Amino acid sequence: MTSLLSVESVDMRFGGVQALSDTNLKVDTGKITSLIGPNGAGKTTLFNVITGLLAPTSGRVYFKGWDITGLSVTRRSRLGIARTFQKLEAFNSLSARDNILVAAERRRRRDHSDHRRPADIADELLELIGLEDVADITVGTLPTGTARLVELARALALTPTLLLLDEPSSGLNEEETKAVANLLRKIVSDDLAVFLVEHDMNLVMDISTEIYVLDFGELIAHGNPEETQSDPKVRAAYLGSH
Amino acid sequence: MEPEAQETPSRVPSDASPQWERPKAMRGVLPTLPLPSALRNPVVLMTIVGVAIVVVMFWRYWAGYDVTAATLLNATFIGIAVGALYAMYATGLVVVYTTTGIFNFAQGAIGVFCAFLFWELHVNRGWHTLLALFFVVLVFAPALGILLDVVLMRRLRTAPLVVQLMATVALMVLLLSLTGEIWEQDTIRRVDFFFGLQSSIEIFNVNILWHRLITIFTAIGLAIGLSFLLFRSRLGVAMRGVVDNRELAALNGVRPGLVSSSAWAIGSSLAALGGILIAPEVELDPTNLNIIIITAFAAATFGAIRSLPLTIVGALIIGLLRQHTITWLNFGSDFRFVSEAVAPVLLFIVVLALPRAQLTVGRLTTNLKQRERLTSPKEAIFGLAVLIFLALVFSKGWLNFGIWDPGEWGSAPLNSMNVAMGLAIMGLSLVPLTGWAGQINFAPLAFGGFGAFLYLKLAGIGGTNSGYWILLVAVLAAPLGALVAIPASRLRGLYLALASMAFAQAMAMLFFPHSAIIPSTAVGVQFGPIRLFGITFSERESYFMLLVSVFAVIVFALVLLRRSRYGRRWVALNDSQAASATVGVSVNLTKVIVYAISASIAAVGGAFWATSNGSLEGVRSFDVINGLEIVLLMAAAGVSIPLAGIFLIFRPVFEGLTERLYDLGNVDWLAQFFDVLTTFGPGLLALGMVINQRGAVYEMGRGFSPILPWRKDAREEISREWAQKRDTEFGELGIASPFTANEIITLDRRLGITDQVTPPGGYTTGVNGSENNGSEGSGSAGGNTSGDNTSGNTTSGSD
Repeated sequence: MTSLLSVESVDMRFGGVQALSDTNLKVDTGKITSLIGPNGAGKTTLFNVITGLLAPTSGRVYFKGWDITGLSVTRRSRLGIARTFQKLEAFNSLSARDNILVAAERRRRRDHSDHRRPADIADELLELIGLEDVADITVGTLPTGTARLVELARALALTPTLLLLDEPSSGLNEEETKAVANLLRKIVSDDLAVFLVEHDMNLVMDISTEIYVLDFGELIAHGNPEETQSDPKVRAAYLGSH
Repeated sequence: MEPEAQETPSRVPSDASPQWERPKAMRGVLPTLPLPSALRNPVVLMTIVGVAIVVVMFWRYWAGYDVTAATLLNATFIGIAVGALYAMYATGLVVVYTTTGIFNFAQGAIGVFCAFLFWELHVNRGWHTLLALFFVVLVFAPALGILLDVVLMRRLRTAPLVVQLMATVALMVLLLSLTGEIWEQDTIRRVDFFFGLQSSIEIFNVNILWHRLITIFTAIGLAIGLSFLLFRSRLGVAMRGVVDNRELAALNGVRPGLVSSSAWAIGSSLAALGGILIAPEVELDPTNLNIIIITAFAAATFGAIRSLPLTIVGALIIGLLRQHTITWLNFGSDFRFVSEAVAPVLLFIVVLALPRAQLTVGRLTTNLKQRERLTSPKEAIFGLAVLIFLALVFSKGWLNFGIWDPGEWGSAPLNSMNVAMGLAIMGLSLVPLTGWAGQINFAPLAFGGFGAFLYLKLAGIGGTNSGYWILLVAVLAAPLGALVAIPASRLRGLYLALASMAFAQAMAMLFFPHSAIIPSTAVGVQFGPIRLFGITFSERESYFMLLVSVFAVIVFALVLLRRSRYGRRWVALNDSQAASATVGVSVNLTKVIVYAISASIAAVGGAFWATSNGSLEGVRSFDVINGLEIVLLMAAAGVSIPLAGIFLIFRPVFEGLTERLYDLGNVDWLAQFFDVLTTFGPGLLALGMVINQRGAVYEMGRGFSPILPWRKDAREEISREWAQKRDTEFGELGIASPFTANEIITLDRRLGITDQVTPPGGYTTGVNGSENNGSEGSGSAGGNTSGDNTSGNTTSGSD
């Protein structure tokens, strides 16, 4: 069985900096896959390569078995890849509802029986994520945590098959983080893979099915939470004792 | 068992991540122009230009043109001299931009003002040349630069780009009108060449004016001096340090204020020197002198507004190309402005060739909104009905307020109102493009002029014209907009502004003057009245009502568009291109659509403008500077609000009012006041943007909306704001009312108490605290009475 997303031998260089070297990983539906690693390990770079914001120096990216390496960001999102950003990239001058609407209007219908209108989707998501109270507030004036949730709702409005979340918990308080964890568990399904970059280890260990560890652009470990935690290479990377 | 270090990175704020993990420029949608890096080498560039000139020369020689060494040398020499002058303007621009981040559109206008001042002192008052030169270049200009920096430019450092651009454009307009007011333009002024036209030296049979020789040597001296200043002196090191990292430079004892003032002083001096030296080459006329700035922009873009050597090379190239074009090429009267078009065309090409990434992350404008509230269709209809009613009252002269007499007012002033309504419709074209999609466009008049040209071709001159032609104009103009969108979608911010400026100027120099576009017969001949729905709008009053109705229809359509998916997409695109792309919005297609719509609206405005004006004579003056008044007024009124377009009738209204007041005789002071206001109004209004960045109409709407019976939310917001304002004042210092958590924080900060004296339970961060405070306070009209001291606030913050 082919994986939903498979990254094959991806290299990414910025001038003299090797951000990613020979990276191989697979992400499957029905699972929450996490990518962890110290600051500057290349996690966001990998996300940018997968979504098409950066073209890899070499290597390929496959989605549902198709080679998407040369496709534009827009095309990839139409295929079912959605993401959030590490540094907030919400549409700040639009209301929370409009943020979701912009995505809902460009969503890819999963099947023909789905007749929901963009406005219905927006209402559903506002309720699911608990944003009804701020639906009409301009996102630029919301607290960071709330804006992050809006961004998540916007990504979900695309009805994606692959959801990339770049540090969803940063800027969120403990309770909001718990709520996001519960939400992720709830939405992950046979039709949806969640792939997240996260610094909050409690969250990662709590919800992930599979974990990849990246350090200085290289994958150093891969496995379930227990395996990863006991891996000596991972501990070395985090303690900095190379 | 968990690795211990896991806790450490878990709470690291996202900003702390290293820069390279998040490159600012991301992969774009359009491929970048393949530009060999050799083209960024000054020697290669100059060689290419030299070869091109030689080739053209030979071609002219074989075509039977009289090519002599003397003409060649003469053209080259004048070209270098003029290029040296451009370089003075351009290097000043670069110094200011690199150290302060502000692109000074007023650079040319400062030169104009200083050249006139020099004329006043030297020619009119008989000061000695050197004394006048010393005073203007080394005393007045630096002082003006420092004043501008302290009063205005420092406030702009963190302002949104649109505000930064508009402020210096406003300054340009203000300085030009000030020059026009002080030195009335009814007499011809001349500044002589230094040492006169006779004193020249002869080299290889070519007479070389001392003035030009001095210009070249001055420019060389300045180039050496500037590079010494920037790379050797303490101030220069500080200047470059500020560019790299303002905060870090400040920590190392550099005073950013001193640095930016020095930059502005140097920039102004260079502009003054350039203005004085170039004045003998062209007539001493504000418009002519100011347009040189386009050339300076082009030269500066050669060096990406950063590199001084490339800027100087750019200036020399333009000077040489311009002079050799004048000498060797003659395209006939249709292309009589080709030599003037060299600079804008080069500017356009260079801007496009600059390696710029497209999908930048981050916003162009900072956000100031509180809550999103879009005009509903009902409200729009109500507002537009009021507008149409006012227009009817005005055109019929039903209310004359004792000032205007309908008989007189109804004729000539109404005509200029009709012309201005055409401009107002063109102004509306900026609302979706600039106001919503954030695409800065300095060329609304170019699109409008194109509409006027289409209307001329479709409807023809004389007789009654069907109004449906104007619909066709709208349809046909859309492809032009789409065409412009293709290069434009590669650009953002300042470069987009410069490219649109170059486009406007190229249209004014190459397109409109061509006899096939606007034949000489179209000048002075009347366009026939418009006939629509069986009504012929031949009277000025009925035509005025038609224009107001068209304006209202477009405003209404824009209100609907903003509420549609397209409007949302445009705003989203402005907020974040990268995020737009990741939610499936095609950045290019969205831009093409908004440009096409904008071009259509502007073209309709142009067609009506032509009908109002009666002929296409004025289209010839559709250049950048005239177009800037539309941009300026729209920006000052609030470019994201359609109704702001009505501000473009500002000029005829004020001019008419001034005239009537002068006619009345006994209120001369008032008339003079309005006279001054008419001249300086647009510039002053735009400078007001520094304080009120969202525009006048927005503030007016905010003040007005609580009166509307259905706007309960507006009343609530006002009362909430008042309550908040009261909260932040210390008032009775906690005697009559308890301190809130926010007040304690503020007080601590003011008193410099650094150790954390946390109130019971601890207070939450400012964002959450004030948010809760605000929303709670609204219920009980004043947050300070609610809540039992700080604990009440903290509990609400943590749930």
